[in-house]
Amino acid sequence: MSVILEAHRLSRSFGGLRAVNAVSFAVEEGEIFGLIGPNGAGKTTLFNLMTGLTPVSSGTFTFRGTQLTGLPPHRIAGLGIGRTFQNIRLFKGLSALENVKISQHTRTVTGLFGGIIGSKTSRLEEIAVEEKGWEILKLVGLADRATEIAANFSYGEQRRLEIARALALDPKVLLLDEPAAGMNAAEKQSLTAFIREVRDLYNLTVVLIEHHVPLVMGLCDRIAVLNFGELIAVGSPEEVQKNPAVIEAYLGAE
Amino acid sequence: MEEFLQNYGFLLVTLVQQSLLAMSLYFPLSAGQLSLASPGFYALGGYVAAIMATADYFAPWRDALGWAIFPLEWLIAGLVSALLAFLVGVPALRLRGIYLALATIAFVEILRVVCLNLAITGGAIGIFGIPQLFESRWGYIWIFGPLLVITLIFSYRLDRSRVGRAFKAIREDELAAGAMGINPTHYKVLSFVIGAVLAGIVGAMSAPFLNTWNARQGTFDASISYLAYVLIGGGRSLWGPMLGAVLLASLPELLRPLKDARLIINGMVLVIASIYLPFGIAGALQRLKLSTLKRYASLRGGR
Repeated sequence: MSVILEAHRLSRSFGGLRAVNAVSFAVEEGEIFGLIGPNGAGKTTLFNLMTGLTPVSSGTFTFRGTQLTGLPPHRIAGLGIGRTFQNIRLFKGLSALENVKISQHTRTVTGLFGGIIGSKTSRLEEIAVEEKGWEILKLVGLADRATEIAANFSYGEQRRLEIARALALDPKVLLLDEPAAGMNAAEKQSLTAFIREVRDLYNLTVVLIEHHVPLVMGLCDRIAVLNFGELIAVGSPEEVQKNPAVIEAYLGAE
Repeated sequence: MEEFLQNYGFLLVTLVQQSLLAMSLYFPLSAGQLSLASPGFYALGGYVAAIMATADYFAPWRDALGWAIFPLEWLIAGLVSALLAFLVGVPALRLRGIYLALATIAFVEILRVVCLNLAITGGAIGIFGIPQLFESRWGYIWIFGPLLVITLIFSYRLDRSRVGRAFKAIREDELAAGAMGINPTHYKVLSFVIGAVLAGIVGAMSAPFLNTWNARQGTFDASISYLAYVLIGGGRSLWGPMLGAVLLASLPELLRPLKDARLIINGMVLVIASIYLPFGIAGALQRLKLSTLKRYASLRGGR
């Protein structure tokens, strides 16, 4: 296995608050990597640093050796890093199919005039984009509602559609920010299987933030624990569970 | 028929022309950008055409090209508008929402004051006696009409293309669009340039149509009128701005018997529409169609 993502002393301050403080870790190709920690530990900020939505204060982040720090979000997405958002950010007024068509943007090249006059490239691309859109909607089980607007979907369906949208980007790495939030027990069960399935199907590396501990323990190959912006432990679920610093962060010192 | 065109030909051409200007707002709006810069580019396009049609410097061109000088005017007006839109758009589109609207109004004002004071634009008097392309006012439908058709086809095709989808994504959620690989700045500037090119070409076609061109073309008032077209008609579909333009631009004519009271009706239509038709007439029609379809579907489903 080789390293696909590597953070080196990644930091971000908001005023006097060190939201992420000198965090270093490496994610191996093909693994499911969990990011846990109490509320306000800096997990989402770390995701935002990784995807360019928040500029880093210091430190570096690389993807297969390519420096990502300083790149705008669309370039990072174009390199193959797809993500979902904690507070779902679908294109709500557009149909499910349009949502998954839009994120194929970086895999297509049709320009303004090619699209208007219907050049050969544009026609071929439209067919491919449409087909792939349907394929991904089928995968997440939303194909029967493809033409409905995203705002009409239930919470769980919106989460699935957001994953579908990120998959349509054809990513190498999928970042999931609390994919199980608001799901019931049965839905969480099927989510675990689903994440494994897409990982195998598309040869993905998955990094996920999750609060639900049983889900994380059952799903992830390795887990990193953040507390007050600092990385306090990295390791297999068993190692992390026994780590005194982790127990202290979650339960408080005795 | 001849008499009808004599009386209403000017109005009909004006309606098409105003529809086109309303649509020039629609393009940036489809990428979520509220720009009121269209009157500025309209004025610019008109000046380009007026100068090319009257200035001594262009006399050899006119002699050499004959009637073909007109399409050349449109082309150059479009190119100049595109260039200026790019230069203005790159910094201005860093602003969002109402701040962008204000910046574009400022742009229109600056352009107006500049044109008022330059010698080449004829100063306060402007440029008059612009050579005609057609014998009657009505004849101009033969240039505005095809432009409207081309614009509608363009807009329809754009909506179903990769670039159009990028516009929509930015309109819906700019941050998420960026995270999905779309370069927001690139497409915001592109949408702004498309709107500017359209306004510039309409201006260039309007210069001979109106016979004179001065700094009263393309003012803040015009910005507000075009915005009203879009608000009344609906900014979410390509029919909306056109519908709004036809309705609002013809209202003063339809209400002519009421004399000055028509201004009150004009204002009332705006207020009522903004309360009861938040997505404009096109939005209301869309919802009506959806609910009818649903009722039809439930009847057929036996529910």
